[in-house]
Amino acid sequence: MLWYKSWLETRSRFLISLLVAVALCSLVVYHGDQDAIPNTTLAYYYNVLQGGHVLLCMMWVMSVTLLTMGGLLREKAVGTAPFTLALPVSRTRLMAVRISVVLGEAMALVIVPWAAMFLIGSLTGKTHSIQQAFFHMALLAGGGMVFFGTALLTSSLVEGEYTAPVVTFGAVLGISVVLSSSSLHVYSPMEFIAGAEYLDRHTRLLTGPIPWMRVAVSILISALLVAISAKAVQARDF
Amino acid sequence: MTSEPVVETNGLGKSYGRISAVRDLNLTVGPGRITAFLGLNGAGKSTTIRMLLGMIRPTEGSGTVLGRRIDDPAGSLEFRRRVAYVSEDKRLYGYMTVEQIIRFTSSFYPDWRADVVRTLLKQYDLPPDRKIRSLSKGMRTKLALLLALARRPQLLILDEPSEGLDPVGIEDLLQSLVAQCAEGTAVFFSSHQIAEVERVADQVCILHQGRLVLDASLDDLRLSYRQIDMVFPSLPAELQSQLQLEGVESIRTSGHQMSVFASRNADAIMERARDLHAGSIEAAPVGLREIFLQKVKEN
Repeated sequence: MLWYKSWLETRSRFLISLLVAVALCSLVVYHGDQDAIPNTTLAYYYNVLQGGHVLLCMMWVMSVTLLTMGGLLREKAVGTAPFTLALPVSRTRLMAVRISVVLGEAMALVIVPWAAMFLIGSLTGKTHSIQQAFFHMALLAGGGMVFFGTALLTSSLVEGEYTAPVVTFGAVLGISVVLSSSSLHVYSPMEFIAGAEYLDRHTRLLTGPIPWMRVAVSILISALLVAISAKAVQARDF
Repeated sequence: MTSEPVVETNGLGKSYGRISAVRDLNLTVGPGRITAFLGLNGAGKSTTIRMLLGMIRPTEGSGTVLGRRIDDPAGSLEFRRRVAYVSEDKRLYGYMTVEQIIRFTSSFYPDWRADVVRTLLKQYDLPPDRKIRSLSKGMRTKLALLLALARRPQLLILDEPSEGLDPVGIEDLLQSLVAQCAEGTAVFFSSHQIAEVERVADQVCILHQGRLVLDASLDDLRLSYRQIDMVFPSLPAELQSQLQLEGVESIRTSGHQMSVFASRNADAIMERARDLHAGSIEAAPVGLREIFLQKVKEN
């Protein structure tokens, strides 16, 4: 039933995020070829990749931050923590269930909008490529884990009903600004999930193999942030 | 039924930096009894309860609940299956309906009593399909009590349970506590409402500034505490010291009158007053309110 609780807690935020992401991404694909240069696919890919995927990346980071908002610290702020902590459930299990539910929702926010873009492209006879879609999804789902871990850590350290997402947005903005300088941009998780490094400027396609090593590093960093969050929650008084 | 205490603490304490919320607490809650935990705001009652339930880590001492150590996560998990707790502000998940939270809570307790749920839903007039966020504080309190009572707990811990209830609700609550106790559940509740405590409690603990200043059965308190009023022809300064016998908690003087507040030994105190030529001596039983005020002022 802890799954049920986590689902009820996050379902409105999740469903609204999913609906907005699917609608906007589908619109971008549907209208993406209006500016196409005749006999080329340049404008179409430009719109799908830059317009669709980058839009999805921004919405995804925002949605995941809002979905991660919750947990025992937020429960403490709204006064429900004593009820939850009096249940015969360990803090670790409470956290594990919440992380699993939010992670599932975060993955759905990658797959469903991309599936919608792919479907719209297929149904309307527009150029589409399953390999390109998979590449983008791998970057967003793998690289995005850093944002997920950051949001989770913030929600495990910062008290207050809405303080954690505000701090997370600030942190993400700060990281993006600091790492946007020319020498550091390769470390920018935002540029990584947007695929800026792998984008061929002429074809607007992602090129080369999927950077599994960097995806793995992102997941490892996220795992570390999750472990720190779990320690912080374990050690806290409620 | 075992006679082992359901709650036992040994020098338990919690400090936040230099501030001690609870100090050197040696508390025993017996099985099958109603134990009241009295204290002013900020006395440390809620901190103590939360330490017992593993929500706050003690900085000193140790404690057990139903024989399991409170600082052992596995033990805490084990006893929480047999303990029901109603927190001070009775906040529940606002996004759930009454029915959803009943279903959610029941999934953690194999001994869940559906018959109690049905009875209390009707008695408390709780609408099953209403969102909790739209319930009044009184209704939320009733729902929290329902969730606690339906668990068939061995120990029921309530933090200010009557807060937010109307007089009928308070009456229902007190009757429920007595009924639970009759079924063998130990009840441990904190309260400001001394009249309620006097009606239902078997044992009274008073916490003041983080220290336990009284732990006695209500019957013993009623038997032993006396207010002795005396009138003397004159009140020389040494009279007070001559009346400082064992059991004298405080002495007040006004004109030729002297009032002695005694926790025990009333007969010997009156005997001494007679020896000191008191003109009139009257001893009266003392209520819990006076005892509480005395303990709080004295410390």
